[in-house]
Amino acid sequence: MRILLKTGIITLLTFATFILSTTNVNAQTKSETDKTYIKIEVDGLSCPFCAYGLEKKLKQAGSKDVLINLEEGEATMSVPKDQQPTEEELRKIVKVAGFTPKEITFSKTPFKIKQDEK
Amino acid sequence: MKNKVVFVLIAAFLGTLFLFSCRGEQEKKTEINSQWKFVKNIDLNNVNPIGIVAQENFLWLSDVTNNRIVKIDLDGKIIESFDGFKRPMHMAIQKDKIYIPEYTSDSLKILEDGKVSTYKLKEKPDAIAGVSIDGNTVAVADFYNNRIILQQDNKVTIIGKEGHNDGELYYPTDVAIKNDLIYVADAYNNRVQVFDFSGKYVRMIGWNEGVKVAAGLKVTDSQVIVADFDGNRILVYNLYGKLLQTLNGKFNQPTDIEIVSNKMYVVNYKGKSLAVYQK
Repeated sequence: MRILLKTGIITLLTFATFILSTTNVNAQTKSETDKTYIKIEVDGLSCPFCAYGLEKKLKQAGSKDVLINLEEGEATMSVPKDQQPTEEELRKIVKVAGFTPKEITFSKTPFKIKQDEK
Repeated sequence: MKNKVVFVLIAAFLGTLFLFSCRGEQEKKTEINSQWKFVKNIDLNNVNPIGIVAQENFLWLSDVTNNRIVKIDLDGKIIESFDGFKRPMHMAIQKDKIYIPEYTSDSLKILEDGKVSTYKLKEKPDAIAGVSIDGNTVAVADFYNNRIILQQDNKVTIIGKEGHNDGELYYPTDVAIKNDLIYVADAYNNRVQVFDFSGKYVRMIGWNEGVKVAAGLKVTDSQVIVADFDGNRILVYNLYGKLLQTLNGKFNQPTDIEIVSNKMYVVNYKGKSLAVYQK
């Protein structure tokens, strides 16, 4: 009887853990698929005033997670899919920040980047 | 009689020439004696500094990457730090108040005895890159609006506008008030410009030296010291723009300068260090 009870509890716990982890993965996947990931390559991103200026302008455009990579000369960010700016809008923002935009890439998945700026 | 007058005139002329040459020599000697000499480099480890101000025998650094203000001793040892500043840039100090411009929030913070308050600006800036305080007068470098906001109690004077001519600015990054004049690091016009309190252009400094990016400056009673960010050098001028000294070789993207106890501390942004000079 005791053994049966133990086995039952272990089975229940395993099942619960499985359900929870699946839900978490689903939630994460859902959250990721709700976003658009954007990478913007720019010229002349060497000075901090310029880099953080670009960060400021991109955040004003609706992103909360702008990352500036000075070494690579690029900015990455994500935005909710329903608030995704057009390439033209992004080019305008980059110009207002004082840069010449090069390539702008939209992706459904996050970019693999070396994070050297917080 | 005529000969006497001619003789007196020639003597007076020669005397004047002699006095001027002596004065020139004296100035030369003073300038040579006031040359800055390299002392040491201080490694700042994880601090990415932009601005620097001195408070007695301590230095405050704005650590822009880590959104904090760091207090160090003169050997670079961190004493304390305050987090939560949004991209702090060129600071100013008045007594126990440290004025910290937040680049991304467009606000001017004051840190005093560990407490943070906000200074009310009457004009809305777009990215404050630098601040200077003199009595009740506050000047801020308004980076994206290409201007200086000069606030004296309730009076606001706007200095400069976007452009490349005398009196016009192109992405100003630092400002200093000294002896009723306003010195502006006119970063991407590659120069320093000087204005009076009415906003009238007075003079330009640094044009002949081909400054690449005038990112920061320090004005003393006798010198204007300019950090050339992309040129990796420090240029020392007299107050009228005459070049006195060029410092090279010890910098990695310098952004600011402070002087304490006759020593000059140069902030190396990329080098994450301070280069120390002494006269």
